[in-house]
Amino acid sequence: MPEAIRHLLPYIVIVNFALVALVLIALAFITTRRALTEVPDGLQNAAEFVLEWFVRLARDMRPDGVPVIAPFLASLFLFILLSNLLCILSFPVINIPPTAYYSGPLTLALIAMIGITVLSARFKGVVGAARHLFWPNPLQIISQIGHTLSLSLRLFGNIGGEFMVVLLVVKAAPYGIPLIIHALGLIPAVIQPMVFTLLTANFLAEAIQSEEKQRHDAAPVELPSSEPARSGK
Amino acid sequence: MQAILLVFIPTLTIVPAAIAAAFAMRKISHAAIEGMTRQPEIAPQLFTAMLVAMALVEALVIYCLVIALMVAAKI
Repeated sequence: MPEAIRHLLPYIVIVNFALVALVLIALAFITTRRALTEVPDGLQNAAEFVLEWFVRLARDMRPDGVPVIAPFLASLFLFILLSNLLCILSFPVINIPPTAYYSGPLTLALIAMIGITVLSARFKGVVGAARHLFWPNPLQIISQIGHTLSLSLRLFGNIGGEFMVVLLVVKAAPYGIPLIIHALGLIPAVIQPMVFTLLTANFLAEAIQSEEKQRHDAAPVELPSSEPARSGK
Repeated sequence: MQAILLVFIPTLTIVPAAIAAAFAMRKISHAAIEGMTRQPEIAPQLFTAMLVAMALVEALVIYCLVIALMVAAKI
């Protein structure tokens, strides 16, 4: 990055986050402006394709909480995805992905972990949520901090590391070669939001599943002694 | 001395971690791909599980990368 705008970096992170949020809100308005049809086409099809995955994830977790859980996970995913993909734009200041500086991922991880606590308070009551933080092991509150750190550092390391590599390569070879690095950088840019969302969903499932379900899951399942059944043909 | 430290400490922080993670990832992808070829109908579930496992391994390397960056900035 040019030295001239280095002192503006905190503002750039905030402005780019706001830009991504505006784009997402505009997309939401555009996709729902027309009346939704039973058989989706075009934009509605794409939006339903994205949302379906989160709805299935939320339904596995807690069938009565789909209207609350699915938007939470989906907005995290889309927000991180679009923030990462900013680096492939060719405008000078906008192409700095806000997730490439540690304040951005830390904010997202804090939102995720605080959101998990709030959601678990909504489903299990404040006492149940507090109980999850301190029971059966009082040190579980430390593990929440550890989860926050690991979520944010993972995102920061992948996107920030890739962005640093791009900056170094651009200094050495300004034409042609950065294209290859950008193409390789698209892989973590798409996979990291997925990993972030999946891990958040795992922590959320741990926090909100009722104790009956946990006991049911922990109970030994009787396996058929014969050859396991095969699905399909 | 300063220059030698600047080169070697971050390098020695990140390189063993990357090698160890490469071995771990080899094992994860080997198991996942073998499972996918044996049972293609559960391939999507295996793929998500593989991604999460890879991310957990990768996080350790990322910690080392962050430590290396911090050391490089300190020296």
